[in-house]
Amino acid sequence: MTRRKLAWMAAAAAGIALLPAAAFAQAPASSQAKSAPAAPARAAIPRLTDGKPNLNGIWQAMNTANWDLVTHGPSQGPAAFGTFLTTPPGLGVVEGDAIPYLPDAAIKKKENYANRWIADPELKCYLPGVPRATYMPYPFEIVQSTSAMLIAYEYAEAVRTINMGKPKEAPVDSWMGWSNGHWEGDTLVIDVTGMNDMSWLDRAGDFHSDALHVVERYTPVNAALLNYEATLDDISVYSKPWKISMPLYRHMEKNARRMEFKCAEFAEELLYGPLRRKPNK
Amino acid sequence: MNKKFAMIFAGAALLVVAAPVWAHHSFAAEFDADRPVKLRGNITKMEWINPHAWIHIDVKDASGATASWMVECGSPNTLLRRGLTKASVASGQEIVVDGYQAKDGTNRANGRDVTLPDGRKLFLGTSDGEVGK
Amino acid sequence: MRRGGYILLTLIAIAVLAAVQSLAQASQAPSESATPQANAKTAAAVKNWTPARTPDGQPDLQGVWDTASLTPLERPKELGMKAFYTPEEAAAFEKSRKQENNRDRRDGGAQTDVARAYNEGWFDRGSKLGRNLRTSRVIDPPDGRFPPFTPEAQKHYDAVHAYLEANPANGPEDRPLFERCLVFSQTGPPLIPGNYNNLYQIVQTPGSVTIFSEMGHQARTVPLDEHAKLPQNVTQWMGDSYGHWDGNTLVIETTNVRYNDMSHFGTQYDTGMSDRNMKVVERFTRTAPDLLIYRATVTDPTVYTKPWTIEIPMDKTESAIFEYACHEGNYGIVGILAGERAREKKLAEHR
Repeated sequence: MTRRKLAWMAAAAAGIALLPAAAFAQAPASSQAKSAPAAPARAAIPRLTDGKPNLNGIWQAMNTANWDLVTHGPSQGPAAFGTFLTTPPGLGVVEGDAIPYLPDAAIKKKENYANRWIADPELKCYLPGVPRATYMPYPFEIVQSTSAMLIAYEYAEAVRTINMGKPKEAPVDSWMGWSNGHWEGDTLVIDVTGMNDMSWLDRAGDFHSDALHVVERYTPVNAALLNYEATLDDISVYSKPWKISMPLYRHMEKNARRMEFKCAEFAEELLYGPLRRKPNK
Repeated sequence: MNKKFAMIFAGAALLVVAAPVWAHHSFAAEFDADRPVKLRGNITKMEWINPHAWIHIDVKDASGATASWMVECGSPNTLLRRGLTKASVASGQEIVVDGYQAKDGTNRANGRDVTLPDGRKLFLGTSDGEVGK
Repeated sequence: MRRGGYILLTLIAIAVLAAVQSLAQASQAPSESATPQANAKTAAAVKNWTPARTPDGQPDLQGVWDTASLTPLERPKELGMKAFYTPEEAAAFEKSRKQENNRDRRDGGAQTDVARAYNEGWFDRGSKLGRNLRTSRVIDPPDGRFPPFTPEAQKHYDAVHAYLEANPANGPEDRPLFERCLVFSQTGPPLIPGNYNNLYQIVQTPGSVTIFSEMGHQARTVPLDEHAKLPQNVTQWMGDSYGHWDGNTLVIETTNVRYNDMSHFGTQYDTGMSDRNMKVVERFTRTAPDLLIYRATVTDPTVYTKPWTIEIPMDKTESAIFEYACHEGNYGIVGILAGERAREKKLAEHR
């Protein structure tokens, strides 16, 4: 085992060990508690030489937000596939457990839901947009140096360049949008605009327009845990900004890696099958 | 430059012209060399998408009927590097497209040359071919 | 409980030791922050330049790099063993290639015209030879051309091409991998420049290097410490890469590269191909503040009769990398398949 791995494990162990203490410290109304908890939490976060939290690694959400952002029970998928494509039940990740759609948008969301087995861009392997990329059931990798930052997702090999310099404006719309990042204390804040209107937020047909503005916040708790929050604002679809939050977990297994998943190949039959010389049945 | 060297260049030039040129995909496979088209119309939508940008235009024929055409261009990233943005090409702008129609006979063409009505090119490299590095 | 605490303390102690050690290493690393001869145009002029170090002690290769140039992949046969142009020859070559490449020209007949696709403004293949002034990107074999296929490989190659001649587009599988938005010559390995979007961003983190190619939006993370390799039967289009430093040179070895009959060098190009035995060794050396020299040696004994090596200068650029979402807007492959179906229908009617 390398020194680096060992250091990670130790830091993670330290973080986990300190968790109960931090929880106690935050527990009801001791007047000292407010200033106290910062110190142990700080020690648990690995850092780069510039003092910023070191977020390098493979991360993944552990929830069912990609099926439906709000609380949902299980539901039937295409029957031929039995339980393979059943929607798994799960608790919501939206603050207040409801998305504040404008009236027309609420109708569109229902239509999307009805058409989800043919219309969700995920089944065509289209780039997922933000924040959906974060909570898809695939790992993603944060690549961070003192001078640059990328986020690379396993699904569809989506990659975002995070501009940590002077904020710039998106020249044109794109699937993954334009990301301007900065640090607020130990929180990485990424402001995302310039997304096109073609991606969805989940398999339940939740959607946005090209006016979507997302502010993401990645806050490390310890070496193995990030708190993730995203605020979504879109004046043509929502009546007010709304927020999702969830923990993101570091892959701790030995030799964890983001594997290649160029899924375009697996959508070809769906997209181009009818144009074959001899279409498959 | 000596004469022998010049000959070598001439040889290389021939090779280059004869060799298949490839963009993201084979245009010869998609568009029909036997169906050259010249379209004049107004832009209804500019799709700044990869792998190729598409210009949507409405073209009026002699009888006054309007047909919608899609015109295929190159990867927008090259132009973005030169500072173009989605505001650079406006809807309503009249353009002239010189290209070839799709092999399946639908209203799609490649934008072999896309110019403004006064003949200026809509998408330019810099004059000496020096590109945005 | 007490025992757990002891283990924890030990782990923390080890971690602290490790951190101190790596800090010490970093401070021992050559810290000359370079005396960059900013205007130096050739590698020779900056021979003694050494790159700065990242905080964890790696030679710093970070930034956005552009491989576009007019240098051909293979050397024109007429040039024989001539590996370099003189500056005068280079200027003449650049002038002549600019005219030949110019898509704005309309001569050569309709077939040539349609194949030129769209006007020159969309291309970014560079307007100069690579800064090494080489006559070809292939530098070994010394004639600047790919070595011959083995007889078996040649037979296979001929059979595949005969099939494609007769069946150009029965389905998407018959089309080149780049038309299907799967891999591009740029994504590699090896990294081979194309007509546009030849940009790469290199990011170095403690223990790994990520090479992000704009074309194909592929981020290849290469671990620098020991790491379990993929089993032989699991392949990826970008292969399975491991790196180490050889002095100031980053060396990356890649195996497990996926291949099929449409892949050439594992990355599709106008010629060539690869099979399960392909191994690529890439070498990145920063020889000046604004220049990386990239070399890649491909060994594939069941396809090529000997290994071959390419060299590509990578120029530092301040350009941003933009999203290249290929599959999502791939109207092209629809047009190609639909066009071929229309052609078949016309043929059938003529019968």
